[in-house]
Amino acid sequence: MATLHMLSHSPFGDGRLESCLRLLGSRDAVLLCGDAVYALQQAGAPWASLQKSGAQVFALAEDASARAITAHASATLVDYPAFVQLCLDYDKVNSWL
Amino acid sequence: MSKSMLVISRQAPWAGPGAREALDIVLAGGAYDLPLGMLFLDDGVFQLTTAQQPGDIQQKNLSANLQALPMFGIDELFVAASSLERRGIAADTLALPAQCLNDSELAALVDRYDQVITL
Repeated sequence: MATLHMLSHSPFGDGRLESCLRLLGSRDAVLLCGDAVYALQQAGAPWASLQKSGAQVFALAEDASARAITAHASATLVDYPAFVQLCLDYDKVNSWL
Repeated sequence: MSKSMLVISRQAPWAGPGAREALDIVLAGGAYDLPLGMLFLDDGVFQLTTAQQPGDIQQKNLSANLQALPMFGIDELFVAASSLERRGIAADTLALPAQCLNDSELAALVDRYDQVITL
């Protein structure tokens, strides 16, 4: 069953993103919102880990623009309706609270 | 058939309410015979060390609740091998009989449950 892993904390503050990537399944995707969009910073280490994982990456567009984060073309920026649709598209959502 | 749920507990026992809340979810679900699993990940593995003295920092002991898990029918207990290794904890010293899983086994574990909660 495909899981959408939702992250909302900065990847620089703790190990959520790292741990998430360690248990990511091949059909799983990552959805970044809030401070988690800092993981899209292209010269940053978290972005390198995300790319290495091969996971499909989604991010909330307004959270990225609010933080002046420009996403790499391989990350898909979504609005709130698309966010909801994503949650429905996957078998389950795992929020890393 | 009830939906199965995996609770991932990744907080150290005395860092805040997270560890106890995760445990409460599992115990409550167990009381209703829900098919539940619990995974100790990251600092969550510190919940499983023995000889903790939480009374010294005015905290209630978590280990009694942890020991209740098998009694509540929760025998799907897992611990992340990489989290143990990073923290220098040996798998055979844990307070609970949790199954030690490597990273690829963790992905398969998350995959097979209907729902997942990470606290």
